[in-house]
Amino acid sequence: MISRKRPWRSSLVWRVTGNSVLLSLGIIWLVGSALFSQISSGIFEEKRSNSISDSQSSIRSIQVQMAVAQFQNDAGIRKIVDQMISVASISGNTAGREVALLHFPVVRPVKNNYERTSNLLSTKSIPEAFRTKVRTSTGLQWARTKITFLGGEKVNGIAVGGTVEIPNSGTYELYFLYGLTSQENTLTLIRNALWFTGLALIFLIGLVTWLVIRQVVIPVREAAEIAEQLSAGDLGRRMEVHGENEIARLGISFNEMALSMQQQISRLENLSRLQQRFVSDVSHELRTPLTTIRMASEVIYASRGSFSTKVSRSAELLIAQIDRFERLLADLLEVSRFDAEAAVMVVEPIDIVQLLRRTVDYLHPSRERIINIISDEETILVDADTRRIERIFRNLITNAIDHCEDKPVDITIVESEDAVAVGVRDYGVGFQEKDSHRLFDRFWRADPARARVRGGTGLGLSIALEDAKLHHGTLEAWGRLRRGAHFVLTIPKVAGIEMATHPISVVPESELSTIVNPEDSEEI
Amino acid sequence: MTLIMVVDDDQDLAEMLGIVLNGAGFEVDLVSRGDEVMDLFRAQSPDLVLLDVMLPGMTGIEVCRDIRAESMVPIVMLTAKGDTHDVVLGLEAGADDYMVKPFNPSELVARIKTRLRRQISESAGGLKIGDIAIDQLAHSIMREGKVIPLTRLEFDLLVALAKEPGRVFTREALLNEVWGYRHATDTRLVNVHVQRLRSKVEQDPENPELIVTVRGVGYKAGVPGTKEQ
Repeated sequence: MISRKRPWRSSLVWRVTGNSVLLSLGIIWLVGSALFSQISSGIFEEKRSNSISDSQSSIRSIQVQMAVAQFQNDAGIRKIVDQMISVASISGNTAGREVALLHFPVVRPVKNNYERTSNLLSTKSIPEAFRTKVRTSTGLQWARTKITFLGGEKVNGIAVGGTVEIPNSGTYELYFLYGLTSQENTLTLIRNALWFTGLALIFLIGLVTWLVIRQVVIPVREAAEIAEQLSAGDLGRRMEVHGENEIARLGISFNEMALSMQQQISRLENLSRLQQRFVSDVSHELRTPLTTIRMASEVIYASRGSFSTKVSRSAELLIAQIDRFERLLADLLEVSRFDAEAAVMVVEPIDIVQLLRRTVDYLHPSRERIINIISDEETILVDADTRRIERIFRNLITNAIDHCEDKPVDITIVESEDAVAVGVRDYGVGFQEKDSHRLFDRFWRADPARARVRGGTGLGLSIALEDAKLHHGTLEAWGRLRRGAHFVLTIPKVAGIEMATHPISVVPESELSTIVNPEDSEEI
Repeated sequence: MTLIMVVDDDQDLAEMLGIVLNGAGFEVDLVSRGDEVMDLFRAQSPDLVLLDVMLPGMTGIEVCRDIRAESMVPIVMLTAKGDTHDVVLGLEAGADDYMVKPFNPSELVARIKTRLRRQISESAGGLKIGDIAIDQLAHSIMREGKVIPLTRLEFDLLVALAKEPGRVFTREALLNEVWGYRHATDTRLVNVHVQRLRSKVEQDPENPELIVTVRGVGYKAGVPGTKEQ
């Protein structure tokens, strides 16, 4: 089904799961980063305060030693400095403490320079801006820095600096550098843990949402599938109902709906079957006696010469009325077949131009009236029911001949890509514009006062319209009093295809200028 | 004297049919039950059977099939239903023609006469269509020395097509030439008979080679081995 191609759009499960995963991703991201920044600033803060208090005590003790060493000579002081540096520095990557003793910058070289750094520490580790800050202040200063070793290795760290007075040499800056490697390792560990927990949480949330939504959606999806099958005609399908929750209630009401629909449909089907059956029975029961009557009257009619005038005239009337009765019965049966939707089409490829010519020849063998057949094509093939199309032609042409008042009748046949149209135009009595849609009503008469045209049953146009509809075609009428009428049949060339074009407009070209309000004509 | 068997359960109609057919110069046998037809048919061997569809004892369709199993006599169905379904069923069971009630008695007589008359004028020459030899005098067709039984109407239909091998016959032309109807457009009659004829003479009735459909026009005699449309 479609859900496989575009699960996001067509599946509620995937959409809800996706949305909840996205939302929890956002929330976990926010919470995780807040947590992480709090932890990292806490760890850093602790290390900083430890470093500062550690440096403070060290610097104080060195200051005291230096003050005591006032009377020592150069070698003595150098020894004290060496000792001091080696004591102060604790090597090691994790909790190491590096020391740097740097002379205040001077113009002239100092006589006794005791500048020293522990191990392989590079003086680049202490930024110039920080040194200035240390020199200009009295207390201890701290700053974040990158501890750089001569080998090029760099680690993040904290530098704490203060000043020390060395006898006979001047003021020095004393720096303690604390590496943050162990804290960074801890933070990395925490970050990884947070990432892992977050991702696992998102996955679990997605999974849980998916499972929960599925529980709700599966019955809904099942209902949808069953509804599809119901609408496809499988009326026996029902939903399975478990438990007593809302979903179960949905199932119960759904099944009730399906049941009542099934009952309704089968009731209607039954009615329609009964109706068809009735039509067929009436047909048989009426037709058999009518056949006997017909034959008997023909026998009487054949020997009417030997009867008195009255009896012979009666025989003539009898025959004529039996004819009329037969036509009426046939038309009524046809109409009831349409009503019962029992009309069956026998579709085959036919040449509609030939059929039209043949019908005209048959209806009008004497050729005393002028009937023009206007066609660009000698043959036009269409898929249609010959009997029905011929019946439409007969109805329209008979109608035109009956109402043409001895003026010519024009029959136009035009094809387009997907449709064929046949227009039957007469210039006789016509009808009032307002009657154009009532023409197709059963037993409708344009003028109730006027007698029905000979032979008509009053059902012809109604049947013709049904025949046209059965072909997915249209039958339209246009007319004006004393200017004639125009009937246009349009049917698709291929059976069952909806037509996009109407090759002939129902309003005749010669009458186009007479239309005042175009809306009226569309109503036809 | 030509004997016509009238099978109809409606006594009055049957009697009336008797009067009309007697008047037209036929001898008439009346049967009112479907299950009584076969015995009488064998005893009398009528020249034509008029058969109502709805019969007590046995339906007209079944009777028609039984008669066709033993005889090629012309059968005209009388039906009160003009619906395609009933008509096609009757024709498929082997009827040559059908009349929908209420019919015009003179038309009935005309059709009966047409059915009894040899439609295609006989000529001594043998005709061929594909590998089938048509003997018009003996009124029979043979394939590889074996006779294929055909009803008179099927024979006439085959002869009409075989006589003019190049010509495409419209259904109306066939109705005119074989059935003898003018202005008739009942293509079902032609279609069903062509199907029946194909099932008897074609090697593969699904892919006919002897009686070829010309789409939108009608039928023509085909030349086996060449696929024509």
